[in-house]
Amino acid sequence: MASQGLSVDGERQHGQDVRTANVTACVAISNIVKSSLGPVGLDKMLVDQVGDVTVTNDGATILKLLEVEHPAAKLLVELAEQQDEEVGDGTTSVVILAAELLRRANELVRSRIHPTTVIAGYRLAMREACKYIKSTLATPIDKLGREALVNAAKTSLSSKILGSAESDLFANIAVDAVMATKSSKKEDGEMYPLSSIHMLKAQGKSASESQIMQGYVLNAPRASQSMPTSVSPAKIALLGFDLRRAKMKMGVTVTLNNPEEINKIQEKEIDLTALRIQTVLNAGANVIFTTKGIDDSALKYFSGGNAIACRRVTMKDMRRIARATGATLQLNMADLNGDESFDPSMLGHAEEVYEDKIRDDTVMMIKGPKVQPINTVLLRGPNEMMCDEMQRSLIDATSVVKRMLDSNMVVAGGGAIEAAVSTHLENFATMLGSREQLAIAEFAEALLVIPKTLAVNAAKDATDLVAKLRAVHSLAQSDPTKISLSKCGLDLAEGAVRNNFNAGVIEPAVGKIKVIQFATEAALTVLRIDDLIKLNKKENTGEALE
Amino acid sequence: MQAPVLVLNEQTQRDTGRRAQLTNIAAAKAVSEIIRTTLGPRAMLKMILDASGGIVLTNDGNAILREIDVNHPAAKSIIELSKTQDEEVGDGTTSVSVLAGELLSLSEQFLERNIHPTVVVNGFFRALNDAVAIAEELSMQIDVNKPGELDKVVASCVGTKYVSRYGDLMVKIAIDAVNTVKVEDGDRITADFKNYAKVEKIPGGDLNESKVLSGVMFNKDVVSGTMRRRIENPRIILLDTPVQYQKGESQTNIELTKGEDFQRLMELEEEYVQKICEDILKFNPDVVISEKGISDLALHFFSKKNVSCIRRLRKTDNNRVARACGATIVSRTDELKESDVGTGAGLFEVSKIGDEYFTYVVDCKDAKACSIVLRGGSKDVLNEVERNLQDAMCVARNVVKKPTLVCGGGAIEMAISHALMEKSKSIEGVVQQPYQAVAQALEVIPRTLVENCGASVVRVMTALRAKHANGENTTFGVDGMKGEVVDMRTLGLFEPLEVKTQTIKTSVEAAAMLLRIDDVVSGITRKQDPASGPVQHDDDD
Repeated sequence: MASQGLSVDGERQHGQDVRTANVTACVAISNIVKSSLGPVGLDKMLVDQVGDVTVTNDGATILKLLEVEHPAAKLLVELAEQQDEEVGDGTTSVVILAAELLRRANELVRSRIHPTTVIAGYRLAMREACKYIKSTLATPIDKLGREALVNAAKTSLSSKILGSAESDLFANIAVDAVMATKSSKKEDGEMYPLSSIHMLKAQGKSASESQIMQGYVLNAPRASQSMPTSVSPAKIALLGFDLRRAKMKMGVTVTLNNPEEINKIQEKEIDLTALRIQTVLNAGANVIFTTKGIDDSALKYFSGGNAIACRRVTMKDMRRIARATGATLQLNMADLNGDESFDPSMLGHAEEVYEDKIRDDTVMMIKGPKVQPINTVLLRGPNEMMCDEMQRSLIDATSVVKRMLDSNMVVAGGGAIEAAVSTHLENFATMLGSREQLAIAEFAEALLVIPKTLAVNAAKDATDLVAKLRAVHSLAQSDPTKISLSKCGLDLAEGAVRNNFNAGVIEPAVGKIKVIQFATEAALTVLRIDDLIKLNKKENTGEALE
Repeated sequence: MQAPVLVLNEQTQRDTGRRAQLTNIAAAKAVSEIIRTTLGPRAMLKMILDASGGIVLTNDGNAILREIDVNHPAAKSIIELSKTQDEEVGDGTTSVSVLAGELLSLSEQFLERNIHPTVVVNGFFRALNDAVAIAEELSMQIDVNKPGELDKVVASCVGTKYVSRYGDLMVKIAIDAVNTVKVEDGDRITADFKNYAKVEKIPGGDLNESKVLSGVMFNKDVVSGTMRRRIENPRIILLDTPVQYQKGESQTNIELTKGEDFQRLMELEEEYVQKICEDILKFNPDVVISEKGISDLALHFFSKKNVSCIRRLRKTDNNRVARACGATIVSRTDELKESDVGTGAGLFEVSKIGDEYFTYVVDCKDAKACSIVLRGGSKDVLNEVERNLQDAMCVARNVVKKPTLVCGGGAIEMAISHALMEKSKSIEGVVQQPYQAVAQALEVIPRTLVENCGASVVRVMTALRAKHANGENTTFGVDGMKGEVVDMRTLGLFEPLEVKTQTIKTSVEAAAMLLRIDDVVSGITRKQDPASGPVQHDDDD
């Protein structure tokens, strides 16, 4: 068909054919994730060949696991992943919106409008949309307080499994977790490093018994059972070196002439480690965590010194503990004099460190750290899949909260913002006298796919609801006295239009802007393609390459 | 025309919408169907042949489901429930799968009537919260220190198991073991029987000979036959290092230039061992136990002083010995102290059972660890007895930690079911139906009990429902032996609240999760399948 006598060994597809193929692929992807959008969206179960099961509602996770093969569709998946990294939420929306934009663009191109015109129009529309959100639709958060944060987290959670029953609990957990990470080291503002949120999954109990625990739960047992189960107050030493018998580095050989010496070497090996431990203990430490091993024979020194030691603690845990307790991670003990010493100022402080049991696992609890309060989110659930999904949902919710705190601007959710922007763009389009007008009008139409999908998922009459929604927004924008109507979105439980802002369905403005930007970028990238050349695999080297 | 555009890997299979939901439900039902017959005192065992030809004989829900190999993802998730239940509370593993299966099969009707799954899930969660509250309301506190109270609870757990014939004995064993390892630290009570109560299975003899030792035993003999095999009030030294010459960690070469030097080197090795032995012998031990090896030379020193030695003991066993006789495990002999020597044991004895030697360190004064010796016909039977005992110990631990009980024999389920039904009348909207479904599903427990003992299901169930009808008689349940409706208080059938609430929570949440799924994609990642590698590019034209 489209293949021509090309000098390369492969197939070529170009023009309208490739555009249609690409658009079809993207729409197919969007159809897959479509049903997971919104508070009444459903989950997907993904099974890999080994038989491991993932149950999820998170667009990014679904797409990552689906193994999309079509090149254009892959592009879309990558963009969704980017949204996931940047905003953490709204991946499903990006895919749906991008696919809709593409579908409409393809129609325009079919009716003989050059792709570059469409592209220019889309760009213009995107810029106008973002500007409009920032200038008119967004509300600063300063006057909203904690309630707003909880509401935003709830909105993010509403579409997840946690949303149906426990959204209050988990929204509060998300907000608390993010607030606890607050650090205002930098002069220019507060930082909320999400990476320091510690989550622990434990099967059993019920999801509603998930909690945010004061203190840090370290998933590691005591190195020896003869150690005490609790120490208080705890002085914590974080070590990054081995507490096994000291041995020479590989390739270093000690050559002796006097046989008497050999025992001395051996004794030195043990004594060196013993001395190190003693130095640490003498500095006052009674809790020792190391990323490396501890020799069995060295454990006695800790038990004798009434100290708890844990070996093979991960670096991630170490860093978090260090931040919370004010400890400094020691990578070796050498000091400037060439001796080995341990400075007591390196120790971290906490009120208590004790061993506890969560389910069948032994964990160390670090309570009341001195420098910064630290929390652990403990997720409970009936099985692994559910715990995993809970974690994913909660991560999304925390990133939404973080965005809220960073940007200080919120918008109403539930399709409100899309409908408002769509109405605005329609008016904007009519002001332009060029060919871009058509593209902008289509862009405006495309935005409505979000409220439409929401309504369809809720098994409501989409046509009717969206028409009502548009009418409300057009009124809001034409009549300045009814400006509050611009916050109206869909109430999916009742199938009606309501003021979502007052109902507490809110999202960070940044997230929405990013959704529109990413979706447009994705659509444009795919739209620009008019030629696809696929090389045949070389028979002999094919496998090696793959 | 355009050829079809292939977006996904061709090998993936997709089930969407209704089809996905129905196959999930069918799979979950199939799993719960398998283990239904193992519920209650008239339960039957399952015999499972595993891939390597071994046999598992059991009626423990978790043990059965662990062994069977299922493919369907939804079935897998049901199986995992049993695991969760087992790890969290240790008992009720069968009930949880049965209940989850029943819930799903009852929700099938909702999907057929086009009720949105999120609405169903919503109803489930509301019912769950109420059910847990009701269960707590109906629960009662007991005093664990009062003799006989704890026995009753453990007895009703043991009653449904294979070992029910030896019920009293098993109850005694479980309670003794838990009491031995129980540690009260302020308001934290821990009973770590996983580490400190070891079950030793010795085939042969009779189940009646099983007992909890006031100390520990392990499958080892003294190193040489001439050593003493019976010592009263022994002084025990525990080591975790070898009593033999040990090379250093660093790589060392020795250049020997004289013949005498070589001689000296040999002597040094001997001196080293001798020194260790002298260090140990200074404390006049009767028994020396090492986790590692003991060299012949060291044995010579020890047997001269009439010290019995045991070598290569497992770390976990050594820990138990330490806790039983009050010794500290020592790693450097030159740091040995008088306080490290264990003097708590009353008797050290090696005895021969069957073909093997077993070492007993018993009659300990304040043992914080123990061994449970199980005797019985064959290995398979012993394995099952061990599993039963684990469940019984879990129940005992749960009660010791949280002494709140509910009535067993389906009484609590029936009571919750009735209360939920009453409450559902005040719920408006479609949610009411799934809410009632939870109530209905709970009846599956008494129903299965009746079914398994061969009584008339309809008659007994209606009688039971009538008993509960006006919200009174909440303690009436099914006697799983006779198939009659009786007051559980007279029968003395109680179960820990924690097990019951956990069962309901886990099954409802898992059912809710499966219901929310509308798309099953399987067969992703084809890493192990190199044959499909070259075919992977789709033919677009």
